[in-house]
Amino acid sequence: MSNRTLPRLLQSPAVILLLIWMIVPLSMTLYFSFIRYVLNNLRRPEWTTPSFSNWRGFGNYEFVLNNKDFIFAIQNSLLIVGSILFFTVIFGVLIAVLINQSFPGRGIVRVLLISPFFVMPAVNAVLWINMILDPVLGLQGIAVNGLNDIIVGLKDAPLVGWFFSLWPTLEPISFRATQTSAYAVIIMVTWQWTPFAVLIFMTSLQSEDQQQKEAAVLDGAGPWSQFRFLTLPHLGRPIAIVVMIQAIFHLSLYAEIEIVSRGNGNKNLPYLIGEFANNNIGAASATGIFAVILANIVAIFLLRMIGKTLME
Amino acid sequence: MGRIVLENVTKSFGDVEVIPPLDLTIEDGEFAVFVGPSGCGKSTLLRLIAGLEELTSGSVSIDEEDVTLVPPSKRGLAMVFQSYALYPHMSVRKNIAFPLRMSKMEQSEIDQRVEAAAQSLNLIDYLDHKPGQLSGGQRQRVAIGRAIVREPAAFLFDEPLSNLDAALRVGMRLEIGELHNRLKTTMVYVTHDQVEAMTMADKIVVLQAGVIEQVGSPLELYRTPRNIFVAGFIGSPKMNFIEGDEAAKHGAKTIGVRPEHISVSDSQGEWSGVVGVSEHLGSDTFFHIHETGLAETMTVRADGEVGFKHGDRVFLTPRADAIHKFDDKGLRI
Repeated sequence: MSNRTLPRLLQSPAVILLLIWMIVPLSMTLYFSFIRYVLNNLRRPEWTTPSFSNWRGFGNYEFVLNNKDFIFAIQNSLLIVGSILFFTVIFGVLIAVLINQSFPGRGIVRVLLISPFFVMPAVNAVLWINMILDPVLGLQGIAVNGLNDIIVGLKDAPLVGWFFSLWPTLEPISFRATQTSAYAVIIMVTWQWTPFAVLIFMTSLQSEDQQQKEAAVLDGAGPWSQFRFLTLPHLGRPIAIVVMIQAIFHLSLYAEIEIVSRGNGNKNLPYLIGEFANNNIGAASATGIFAVILANIVAIFLLRMIGKTLME
Repeated sequence: MGRIVLENVTKSFGDVEVIPPLDLTIEDGEFAVFVGPSGCGKSTLLRLIAGLEELTSGSVSIDEEDVTLVPPSKRGLAMVFQSYALYPHMSVRKNIAFPLRMSKMEQSEIDQRVEAAAQSLNLIDYLDHKPGQLSGGQRQRVAIGRAIVREPAAFLFDEPLSNLDAALRVGMRLEIGELHNRLKTTMVYVTHDQVEAMTMADKIVVLQAGVIEQVGSPLELYRTPRNIFVAGFIGSPKMNFIEGDEAAKHGAKTIGVRPEHISVSDSQGEWSGVVGVSEHLGSDTFFHIHETGLAETMTVRADGEVGFKHGDRVFLTPRADAIHKFDDKGLRI
């Protein structure tokens, strides 16, 4: 036995288990995506059991591609993931730098900042859409009404009244049932995941070399230059990690979309799969394969980017 | 130009006073070394001059201008740190150019100065490397390069050689000495290593617990230490101290004799003892002598070829004009 055979033999159970773990669902999805398979059809009862005799070829893929929601769902997936990443990284860096200063009560502030991350996604969505973003009962509706009342009051004021009479009455934004529901999802997930970014950036900031900062101070660098030339490059690696982890999580968002608008005006790929899976398993599987391809494209970009940062 | 004057400087961290009132003048072009055991406040003193720490009271002035309240970047000083403090994601070129870039200098001028500094420090081939790819000595040179491009009024060095290995340390010591001869700029250098202090300094400032024990040229400190602390700190190996009757004979509480001022013989001498450990350095041999009845061990320097062995009985004779006498307060008589 060569000295490599034994280690390979010992590794093989784990490798084989992982392979089965991955291959079985993937091949079943592939299989279902090439046959007609529906859960309920009175006219063609034979389609309700998976079988090769129901072979449909690329028919399911054609059906999905021609579905009016498909391109929209891909765009929406990318819009939601991209926006959340953008906002969480920016807010994360700013908040982390802010609370890295020492001030009284810092420990409590940190705990409070982290807490949104412990709220369940569905609860988060219910809270935001009903209590904050609702155009009538939510904080938003109340705030807009309050502003309108103030403006109406100021219209009668002397001297400046003419200026306020030019103002239109503000309309509260409805975050359900239109494209704006995607913005609602972006807002609530950003709120929930910013603490995650803060947490990672904060630990990284604590390992920043203080002598470097002192050297920069003596070199004449002001606070902005120190941030731009020392802190930001120092945060490069944690930013890459936050982007990667969050991209994986947010490509599969579901609960928030379901609760905000039940997919009206705002679907992503997982939600579309869920809709198909109500009856048409074949189409759902084909969409699933598209989702795997999309996730892989995103992963290739991310790994390129992160590989570059980690190599430095 | 760079004449640094400290007047009545004190520094406290909370209730702890690390530097009691202190006055010190460093002349323009001088190489001043602050030396003392760890925790004696020498680094704090340097950081006070740099402006990285605020004074609790007193004043600092550079070239007759009071800079006590001037921010560090406006004091015209450059500092080299123990950890080098290079910017890890910037190339050597960008590291050296950083202070110039911060002062909004023209790009062509920056390039010219960086090239010149790199040339003089043998860094030309490494300009596009990142600090992580350089050896300790090269990193140290980059840190020095970053300091010299600014053409500062004075250089501050905070234990710059303590992260280097022994051979490199000797080399860098010479390079810094050469740099000082070439630039003729004031340099303030902090170290805990008295050899570095003796070899490099024009003026040594010996500190203990924030108090200046003595200020003087290396040889002044060696010949006429003001008290027991300085006598023991300067010189290697350490001076031998003898108390009791032998000291009383010279009219002192304590007398001190340096190892190199004692001669060893196998037949006759003033004191006698038994050889313990011998350290053969080739050029010199250091004997540690026990059972002298004067002090627990005495260190003696002899010629490299003197061949006493462990357990041999030997006789010691101090050079009469090289006995340092100290009174009961530890001060020189």
